[in-house]
Amino acid sequence: METTKLPPSSPSSPTTSFSVPSAEKVDGFPRRSMRRARQRRSHSSSQFRYQSSQVELTPLPLLKDAPVAELHDLFCKKLQQCCVLFDFLDCVADLKGKEIKRAALNELVESVATSRGVLIEPLYPEAIKMISVNIFRTLPPSENPEFDPEEDEPTLEASWPHLQLVYEFFLRFLESPDFQPSMAKRYIDQKFVLQLLELFDSEDPREREYLKTILHRVYGKLLGLRAYIRKQINNIFLRFIYETEHFNGVAELLEILGSIINGFALPLKAEHKQFLVRVLIPLHTAKSLSIFHAQLAYCVVQFMEKDATVTEYIIRGLLKYWPKTCTQKEVMFLGEIEEILDVIEPSQFIRIQEPLFKQIAACISSPHFQVAERALYFWNNEYILSLIEENCQVILPLVFATLYRVSKEHWNQTIVSLIYNVLKTFMEMNSKLFDDLTASYKVEKQKEMKRERERADLWRGLEEYQERRTQMLTEAARNQRNLQERGERGDPLSPSSPQTAQSDQPEPKPSGASTGAGESAT
Amino acid sequence: MDAVRLMKELRVNYEQEADFLPRETGLNLIVSAQQSGGQITARSRDVTVEDLWSLTSFFGYSTQSFVQAVSLLDRFLAMMRVQPKHLSCVSLSCLHLAARVTEAECDLTPADELIRIGQCRFTVSDLGRMEKIVAEKLRFKSKAVTALTFLQLYHQITLTHTTYRKETLSLEKLEAQLKACLCRISFSKAKPSVLALALLRQEMKSIQSDDMLEIAFHIQRHLKIPDAELQRWSERVARCLSDYASPKCCKPNHRKLQWIVSRRTAQNLHSHRSVPELPTIPEGCWDESESEDSGEDVMSSGDESLCSSLGSDAEGPFFPLHLRHQYLAA
Repeated sequence: METTKLPPSSPSSPTTSFSVPSAEKVDGFPRRSMRRARQRRSHSSSQFRYQSSQVELTPLPLLKDAPVAELHDLFCKKLQQCCVLFDFLDCVADLKGKEIKRAALNELVESVATSRGVLIEPLYPEAIKMISVNIFRTLPPSENPEFDPEEDEPTLEASWPHLQLVYEFFLRFLESPDFQPSMAKRYIDQKFVLQLLELFDSEDPREREYLKTILHRVYGKLLGLRAYIRKQINNIFLRFIYETEHFNGVAELLEILGSIINGFALPLKAEHKQFLVRVLIPLHTAKSLSIFHAQLAYCVVQFMEKDATVTEYIIRGLLKYWPKTCTQKEVMFLGEIEEILDVIEPSQFIRIQEPLFKQIAACISSPHFQVAERALYFWNNEYILSLIEENCQVILPLVFATLYRVSKEHWNQTIVSLIYNVLKTFMEMNSKLFDDLTASYKVEKQKEMKRERERADLWRGLEEYQERRTQMLTEAARNQRNLQERGERGDPLSPSSPQTAQSDQPEPKPSGASTGAGESAT
Repeated sequence: MDAVRLMKELRVNYEQEADFLPRETGLNLIVSAQQSGGQITARSRDVTVEDLWSLTSFFGYSTQSFVQAVSLLDRFLAMMRVQPKHLSCVSLSCLHLAARVTEAECDLTPADELIRIGQCRFTVSDLGRMEKIVAEKLRFKSKAVTALTFLQLYHQITLTHTTYRKETLSLEKLEAQLKACLCRISFSKAKPSVLALALLRQEMKSIQSDDMLEIAFHIQRHLKIPDAELQRWSERVARCLSDYASPKCCKPNHRKLQWIVSRRTAQNLHSHRSVPELPTIPEGCWDESESEDSGEDVMSSGDESLCSSLGSDAEGPFFPLHLRHQYLAA
């Protein structure tokens, strides 16, 4: 196999150059991912299997000029032409061939989109073959091993000029009024679908966008594949959650699932409820939750709207997986809880209000101001307020102490204002309950202060006792020595000797004296 | 404090209380004012007093500060024609004045914080000016004689006569009930001694202590409070307290509160309301029969873990029948 020429390693390489807007620069320097994108080496491309014997493409007559009898044959030939792959990493190679293929693809797209009677049976296998050959490839490993989907620019697919047309063709093919699912299902089989799903891991968002729409149509029209598709999506998600934590297409797959969940028949099948509990809720634990959280939350809320009995599972699940150290995720979770509460049924609310509001109280006392703010803002939601009002007797005691304490301690003034709003709201709801809680809170505080004082007194007493003891011991030791010395010198013992008289009554040191010396005596 | 001295003090306060009553004509004007008339109405006064109570409670001020503030407010409103737009400024300055003579220096909230939490539009200097005006007009020197004064005295008197019962007559509870009454302008007309006595008797009746009611009667005779007057106010107090104590929660008027959040939180607030672009795919009952792969296989392993991990029993609709038999038998 001949080696492919490396592209000129200049920053202005046409395949990879793009001007770096100033917003992408950190401290005036382009981000790391930008710099690395300049030089793409061919061995990291999925198109490395470069055909050595390159087929020369000869331009065929235009479809619109073809007589009806030859139309389908020409169509087939063009499809076959488009099965030839080109290397886009080398931007100067085979320009003629690339253009021929591009024009052919364009024609095919136009033809399928506009003409009727084009899609006859023999074309189906050819079309699917062309599509398979072009799109099914092993995705290259990421250029940037530390690719952060939120921060970094994705690596775009080099052969997009052709690939985009192939996807467009596929989409029009599926959406054509002449499309026959019964015919297509022979060629769009489980193997095909599995490969299609694997492509969702592409880093190129444009590709994923097409795949999303295409899979959506496939699911809609090929009923026989639905269960298989659902199963494979489950597998992808489970692998993502528990094994790799890497998959670029979670958001797109969730969007498709959203439209599927929306269409669930009632009563909900057990399979679907299990999917919710075993896959959707654990998805919340992913580190890259922010990429797909909007779609995930939508799916969760759709489930609730279909069948209110799953509410308890959802909320308990979220509480179980509540983020403990990532405040960005906590804010997302709070947003999701608000969306859930917006559609919750009052009878379900009662079942989860206690654990939920305990968690909300914990969020209010979070030192991160965004978490506290988001939690407090729930009280600005009219429907949630009406739920709280109905269950004021249960909820107010859960949050009261936290609100009061945080209002005195929090560093952020906005939070203090919001707490005032919440307290005032509660006061207006039920002033007697509020007064009772205030009174008992004050009593608790008094008890606590009393306990603190007693504790401090106890320690002080112990320290004083310690001091007295030390002093007694040192006095006693000194006396002992004196007696010994006198004994040696032969002096008579004098009971009125000032030293011994003193040692009989050890004076208590005044409290508050340093206790540094005291410790050593014990 | 022995009983005799307490009774003497009671007398002294009783004689002074008339000085601190708001002008009845002024109060009547407020009560009869129409909502659209551009004047302060009973409702707006009541709402303002509720706000004062919220602030008192939030800043940890004592009930005394609150009662003093309300006394100042009522007297000022009954004396001067105040425009509704100045009402919040007047009420806050009354609270600030009252707090300054009641609370310890360290517990006093600074004026700017008071204004910020109260979500008011005026400045600290506005507040200062209004305080001066109020103090001047009311010839404010020291604490007024209020219903709280009497309540505390009555409570002490009751204690000296019935020491074994001191737990049951709670001063805190009486103070809370007084606060509830003060939130209605109708009680501003009552003489503080009568109002306090009515409250006392109401509480004594609710704890069913005839001995205490005797003491209350004794006080009434000592102060020569007419039966009819006491009866009239007792009825009103009873009605007010039954509203206060009802377990029903009322819908709070939270629309007038401002909910200000930081920019970052505000950005995140509505970012999730994305309308889905993909049309719904309805699920059909024919799905499973045509499928090459049976739907039951999808989650075939470990079905019971769904139930056990979330604490539900195995009877739910989750558990497909044929699998239930399989697992329960095992």
